Amino acid sequence: MDTFIQLTVDALTLGSVYALIALGYTLVYGVLKLLNFAHGDVFMVGSFIGFGVLQLLGGSAHPVVPVWALIVLVTLAAMAGCAALGVVIERFAYRPLRNAPRIAPLISALGVSFFLANSMQLLFGATPRSYDTFTLSNGALYLTGIDIGNVRVPLLRIITVCVAFVLMVFLWFLVNKTRMGKAMRATSFDQEAATMMGVDIDRVIVFTFVLGSALAGAAGVMFALRVPTQVSIGFVAGLKGFTAAVIGGIGSIPGAMAGGLLLGFAESYAQGYISTKWSDLIVFSILIAFMIFRPQGLLGRADIRKV
Amino acid sequence: MTDPTPHSPDDVPADGPAVGRDEWVARHDERRLARGRLLGPLEERLRRVPWWAWLVLFIALLALVPAVSGSGYVRRVAFDTVLYMLLALGLNVVVGWGGLLDLGYVAFYGFGAYAYAVLDSDKFGVHLPTLVAIPVVVALGAILGLLLGLPSRRLTGDYLAIVTLFFLQLFQTVMTNGDKAFGHNLTGGPNGILRVDPFHAFGHSLVVQHQGVFAVSYYYVAIAIFAVVFVALWLVNRSRTGRAWRSLREDPLAAEAMGMPVSWLKLMSFSFGAAVAALTGTAFAALNASVFPLTFYFTLLIIVYTMVILGGSGSQPGVVLGALIVSPVLEMLREPAKGRILFYVVLVGGALVAFRVSRRLGVIVAATVAFGFAAHAIANAVDHSWVAGEHAGGVSGALAHWVVVPAQLARWLTPVSYVGLIGMALVLTLVYGRLRVALLVPTLYLAAFVWENVMLTNPEPARYIILGLLLIVLMILRPNGLLGERRVEII
Amino acid sequence: MKKGVALLLTLLATALVAASAQGGRQTAAAAGSINCSSTLKIGFVTPLTGGAGFLGTEQMTWAQYAVKTLAPALGLKVVIVPGDTPVEQGPAPAQALAQKFVADKSVVAILGPSTSGAVAASSQTYLQAGLVHVSPSATRTSLTQGQTKEATAAFLRVVPGDYIQGPTDAKYMINTLHVKKVVILDFQEPYSVGLADAVEATLKAGGVATTRLSAPNTTTDYSAYVTKVPSDADIVFFPTQKPPDAQTFAQQLLEQGKKAKVFGGDGSNDASTFKAAGSYVSNFAPDITGIAADKAIIAGWKKDNPGKSVGSFGPPSYGAVQVLLNAIKLACVADHGVLKDRHDVLRKVKQVVIKNWILGGTFKFSTKTNDPLNAKFYIFQIQSNGTYKLVG
Repeated sequence: MDTFIQLTVDALTLGSVYALIALGYTLVYGVLKLLNFAHGDVFMVGSFIGFGVLQLLGGSAHPVVPVWALIVLVTLAAMAGCAALGVVIERFAYRPLRNAPRIAPLISALGVSFFLANSMQLLFGATPRSYDTFTLSNGALYLTGIDIGNVRVPLLRIITVCVAFVLMVFLWFLVNKTRMGKAMRATSFDQEAATMMGVDIDRVIVFTFVLGSALAGAAGVMFALRVPTQVSIGFVAGLKGFTAAVIGGIGSIPGAMAGGLLLGFAESYAQGYISTKWSDLIVFSILIAFMIFRPQGLLGRADIRKV
Repeated sequence: MTDPTPHSPDDVPADGPAVGRDEWVARHDERRLARGRLLGPLEERLRRVPWWAWLVLFIALLALVPAVSGSGYVRRVAFDTVLYMLLALGLNVVVGWGGLLDLGYVAFYGFGAYAYAVLDSDKFGVHLPTLVAIPVVVALGAILGLLLGLPSRRLTGDYLAIVTLFFLQLFQTVMTNGDKAFGHNLTGGPNGILRVDPFHAFGHSLVVQHQGVFAVSYYYVAIAIFAVVFVALWLVNRSRTGRAWRSLREDPLAAEAMGMPVSWLKLMSFSFGAAVAALTGTAFAALNASVFPLTFYFTLLIIVYTMVILGGSGSQPGVVLGALIVSPVLEMLREPAKGRILFYVVLVGGALVAFRVSRRLGVIVAATVAFGFAAHAIANAVDHSWVAGEHAGGVSGALAHWVVVPAQLARWLTPVSYVGLIGMALVLTLVYGRLRVALLVPTLYLAAFVWENVMLTNPEPARYIILGLLLIVLMILRPNGLLGERRVEII
Repeated sequence: MKKGVALLLTLLATALVAASAQGGRQTAAAAGSINCSSTLKIGFVTPLTGGAGFLGTEQMTWAQYAVKTLAPALGLKVVIVPGDTPVEQGPAPAQALAQKFVADKSVVAILGPSTSGAVAASSQTYLQAGLVHVSPSATRTSLTQGQTKEATAAFLRVVPGDYIQGPTDAKYMINTLHVKKVVILDFQEPYSVGLADAVEATLKAGGVATTRLSAPNTTTDYSAYVTKVPSDADIVFFPTQKPPDAQTFAQQLLEQGKKAKVFGGDGSNDASTFKAAGSYVSNFAPDITGIAADKAIIAGWKKDNPGKSVGSFGPPSYGAVQVLLNAIKLACVADHGVLKDRHDVLRKVKQVVIKNWILGGTFKFSTKTNDPLNAKFYIFQIQSNGTYKLVG
């Protein structure tokens, strides 16, 4: 039973990060019908921006502000940095290709992904960087927490899940209750009709990228708070984010959240109960099964192509 | 009234344009002949040369490489280039002709290599003769391509890309963990399979190296394989299947409406591509006498894609040219001295192409050179250690006085100058006219600075950064690559 | 027009290839004897970039320092030519580099390859060309031991192989720590799998209950693995090459209230990132800052490399360069100043004896294998202030 609780806690933590990444994919796909391969690398850049800001604020050994403030500042910095990066990528790598055949922005995205990962390696080297949250909080974030049965859920994981939840609620609010959100939904339904209704597509797209990339930045910080980050994590994170978005139904925001959590659970339980080695394989099989039998995912709409 | 329909394409009816005929297209030959007294007829002559003559000439040139240089290293690079050409040809079938974004392509390459290794090594004690092993591997590769194609029939562009990318990841996982699959060591795991047999036929073995120097025989075998594959694919392209692929690429919905077996065509293109990749894999495994899982991963995929996109997807000579350019360039970029030459050649070449031979070009070159010398002199005057650094790979003469290379590069300078260069380059795309020329000069100098100080000292990521940039720029400026055809998507 | 462009570009590409071939041709022309008073080259094959790039860059600083200080003392002019073998690219770069160094006749010896996979891929080439290759860090057992040795007779190493590290670690666990239950992790790549196998075998023979887990190399979050560690396990053997991962694992063990301690191999040896109190690390050298004879060397190195700390991968490279330089010197003396061939260096290398070896004691090669004689591994325990204390 303890194992189950522990694995569930792990699953929630993992799933929250995956959900945040998947949301970025879903948002961009909904509006542009483009799978942004570079998104995983934006996530990686976010974790490094967080690391840089952490060093600027004194590093994990001698922080100049209290731990709470530090985490908030680092997250906000990463979100802002990634949002800017997302805007730049959209403006220079995707916008010129908006009217090109579908394959063109996909390949451009591959190029951006490759470029980002190797640029970060050029600038920061290949060594893993750790936020060292343990030292930062003198162990508090790791050792104190809520007790469920015999399992102690540390504060750090609670923070991860809560931040992700808050951000998702904020996103839901933005998309469903504001004008810009309405414009986003309209564009994702039918871009041409939206233009005719007076929606400024360029602004909507920029806004979408800002949102998606900011979420990726937050995910990067949440991720790096617990484990060391490296320049090579972008690729795998991207794959997992795709999987989550597709399982949940690409183009659907609640779908991305559900998909992320589902993926976290699948991975955690597979590693815990079946085998750590083949857990990747199991996750892929789930994805393939979805794509064959239910390509619209859990909560997506069945895609009817107009001729 | 004269009959408006012309009797031959070169007829121009006396009373103006005719119905059902595109004037601009019809006058193409005239324009070409008129293009210059020397160039026009030359082009006309060249156009009449049959395609196989070009192929023979190319192969002859390739075969001459070992005669030009006795270095095992050069021959090794040439061999790798021929393998890349083969890979590019195979990918061209899937992406260029079928229009399917297959991101799992190098998994077939790896499969071919592993299959050959399993069939022809000490691993299981099986030692099939090469002439049997290669066809078996190619057939298995084709079947695997078919199997991958099966779930992909209903998937459109983006989804297909993910599924194939996952297949690549899957391949990697399975090969890496294959040493503990249910207790059996199937693939050697991360250590791979060693002591793979070289190619052997009629009692003779193709030895890989003599006294450490790479043997020429493998290179010739690779060229032979290349010739066979090129001709085979060319003929397939000319056939009904090739035409069907082209129509599938242009508009799958229309193709289906026209009654073409779209699913079958997709499967065929996957299959062909996989077969070519598997064939290349056997040569790779035999030459290296070993296979390791990590070789067949994302980086290799991007390299092959760059070759195909650069050369022009859909054009066989194009992708071969793409491979011919990218492979030696990648190899040259490993060494700072050669990388430097390459950088300046590309810089000057790029300027020539962008501005043609004109006054503007002269102004830019002169200004950049002057700017550089001035910056160097100022930096020297301020603090000698700012220019006292050693150029990676050694450099002398005027260049040493042009680029600023500090003795101790401050740690913040690397990210700032790199990001600054990217920022300035992006800004350049937004401004026009005199402002653009004015900003171009410091940008070029900054580029030289970043190249010398940051990228030449880290050649590995630098090579890949250039590849990534190349992909992005190509898709934006010239998606048809060098020799591809510009396609118009009809909405 | 298209054909014209194609022709032009083909010619350009051929010119490029020819230009890069020029380098090859010129040095191939200078075949034959090598004058010892000319500048000799040592090729260095190591990962300078990629996931293991920290290994190569650290080794490079020490190798350069060794050449700078030791070569003039022996009367030699030596230069190190680096070659990058990122682990992500498998064996291909190692083979291409082997060709390159074989073609360059002024290369008389090879430092490295640093990764076991690169050794396996290129040892045949070096043997056939008569180039000796001494590695400071390729510790895979199957390179020099076993039925089918992956490396050739031209390969030597200055650090003991995993067949010593594994049993040493396991025996320490059995005899000193009195373990009952151990969890062993590997990362699906050659170094960790080999080491994990060796430790598991010895532990099983000693009657200890072992659990084996395997993590993909790209794993960053080990939470599920920590969950699988039984609460009564004493030790988790964690042969990672990324010290921050060992630190994180130790922290997560604490987080989940497990009593097991992390035991890392020589790849986790980094006091600046792996400092979880109570953990263990094994290494092929004692901390050289504690060896009196090395003080001058360390001081000199620190001057050339300000701000960097002495790691565990660097000093063996210094030692390996020292071995190579001595071998070159012996060959030059025997050939009266003009080497007939690179084979001469290979013939002399096993005769090298170094007193006051940087890793302590006297260095000699074993006569039976190409590994160091009497090499042993040292076990450290991490104290509460993060320092490493020698305990075994």
